Amino acid sequence: MTLRAVIIMALGMVVAITATPLGHWLESTMVSHVLVELPLLVVAGIIFALPLKPVSQPLLNWVNRGGICGLITASFLLAFWMLPRWLDTSLGDPWVASAKYGSMVLTGMILALSWPSAHVITRAVVKIEFLTMFFRLGWLYLISPERLCNNYLLTDQIWLGRGFLLVGLALTITWAYPILFGNAVLEQQLTERKLSID
Amino acid sequence: MNDSTAIAPMPGSSKLAILAYLGISALVYVLMMVLGLLMRMGQANWLGLPADLFYQIMTAHGAGMVGISGLAGSAVMWYFLRRYVDLTVGILWANLAFFLSGVVLILGGIFLGGYAGGWTFLFPLPSHGMGLWGPVGAACFLGGLLLIGVGFLLLYLDVARAIISKYGSLARGLGWPQLFGNSDETPPPAAVVAATMVLLVNITGIVAGAVVLVLILVNLFMPEFEVDALLTKNLIYFFGHVFINATIYQAVIAVYEILPEYTKRPWKVNKVFLGAWTASTIMVMAVYPHHLLMDFVMPTWALVLGQIMSYTGGFPILVVTAFGALTIVHRSGIQWDMPSGLLFLSMFGWAVGVVPAVIDGTIAVNNVMHNTMWVPGHFHMYLIVGLVAMLFGFKYYITGQDGKPGMFDKLAFWIYSLGGVGLSVTFLISGYFSVPRRWAQHMPEWVGLSQPAALMGAAVALGAAIFAIRFLTSLKHARAV
Repeated sequence: MTLRAVIIMALGMVVAITATPLGHWLESTMVSHVLVELPLLVVAGIIFALPLKPVSQPLLNWVNRGGICGLITASFLLAFWMLPRWLDTSLGDPWVASAKYGSMVLTGMILALSWPSAHVITRAVVKIEFLTMFFRLGWLYLISPERLCNNYLLTDQIWLGRGFLLVGLALTITWAYPILFGNAVLEQQLTERKLSID
Repeated sequence: MNDSTAIAPMPGSSKLAILAYLGISALVYVLMMVLGLLMRMGQANWLGLPADLFYQIMTAHGAGMVGISGLAGSAVMWYFLRRYVDLTVGILWANLAFFLSGVVLILGGIFLGGYAGGWTFLFPLPSHGMGLWGPVGAACFLGGLLLIGVGFLLLYLDVARAIISKYGSLARGLGWPQLFGNSDETPPPAAVVAATMVLLVNITGIVAGAVVLVLILVNLFMPEFEVDALLTKNLIYFFGHVFINATIYQAVIAVYEILPEYTKRPWKVNKVFLGAWTASTIMVMAVYPHHLLMDFVMPTWALVLGQIMSYTGGFPILVVTAFGALTIVHRSGIQWDMPSGLLFLSMFGWAVGVVPAVIDGTIAVNNVMHNTMWVPGHFHMYLIVGLVAMLFGFKYYITGQDGKPGMFDKLAFWIYSLGGVGLSVTFLISGYFSVPRRWAQHMPEWVGLSQPAALMGAAVALGAAIFAIRFLTSLKHARAV
């Protein structure tokens, strides 16, 4: 598959989320809103940034050395949309909704342009902070005594809390495995799988 | 013994950073011992210490001793580990900067903000200062712990990066191909195995700590978010117990590196050694429920696990290290001096110090002993005569104070070791007689035990002060390899 085709698919995904009932359907529950729609928009942003990398490299070296500025900006953007008040407002206010769509795509682009230049320790810190935020938010949503959004029920929050914890656990395993056992093991398993498929 | 034929000297910045770690730790140890002495003098009725100040001092003493032990232990690990892998000096400095910033916040939270809820910050204590402290004081304390955690996280991530770069994975750093497979490759050096274990358990502990600290911070300012007290306690003790345990597993690298140098015999890394470190990697993370044996709402299986792990958790590494140290020294013609003497003393303190913990780890005993002076008796023996002796042994080594010890050093050695044993024994006897721990004022019947304890505490502080002065005045002789 060519890069152009991938970008067209990502563009289609963004259009489907922002301008078709798919977006409305994803936003009908808190879990799919936060754990499906927002990550899909970020992924689209990552894909959009692919052709920009070679062009923007000199500028990035100047303003985003080591990817630090970009990663901090992306973290703040992500954290902003973790606030229930703004998530809630985005459902009723088209301007806020547009800001959410745009900023999530932008977050993906910033991440894609920052991650390769980030030092391995910076990446590890970001990953660990990401994990701890999943666990913290999951716990907070589970113990919240009242509804935090007008558009979602208390049970929605509890499901989102569980979702955060599950994603955090899954990411822990996914990221820890190659560190513990090495990429060689992963490559060997992938080769074996490929052979068995063949 | 290292596997390289010639060890490259440390760059100036690395040497300076290591000496900064060790110098700061030497001073803080003495300061914290003086704080401990003040508490014992208060309990001995020799000093009028107000109760609120007692608990502030207790909080500073507990958090300070654990933190500074982590810092000094990491310096030992870094110093020897750099012989085998390529570590980043900038990260070493960054950790120190985070640590010092955290200490400022913690001290501000305690002595300006009035926080006196103990290092354990058990829910809901931080938000229930009852007029003694407010949310800002508690938040400063918790924020300080978070900052210190970030620094250590950076350090251990760099250690992980360096080990993975050289050995391919952390499993290889633990020697699993040699332990579980049929690999003919030379196993990694003892320092690498120990560092791998430490980073694994400490990163896990720091993540748990980072989650629970932020949740308690949220609760401080938004009390309607009530966290589960039992889950919080589990996470706090998981993080705290792993961290303090890992201090000795970092410092013990000094034994693996210095004793072979003295005896001209290599420290053999065999399957038993690798198996012990792998077993302890898991057990160190599973042993913490022995702090919760009195929590009747804990699941029974967790309490049983806590008891079994208390019996077995510390032994694998202790046995291979103590046995290894004895065999390497036996008939080696070793010249006893301050580094080797203190390292050997630390083996004794470590081995003897775990015994009261094993006794207290028995559920039936724990129910009557856990909140008595018995438990401080355990960890004072383990830390003063075990860990801190190990660290001062390393400080003598790095400043080139080997060879025949002087009069002052001999005096300090005996004052410190006898004082340390004496102080721990007075704690244990007090515990045996059910004297409660964490009490600012002691009943008249208990004062008779607190007074000799205060004298012993003074001896420990004096011995440590001499060690610290000897270290700080010998910095110009510090070795670079």
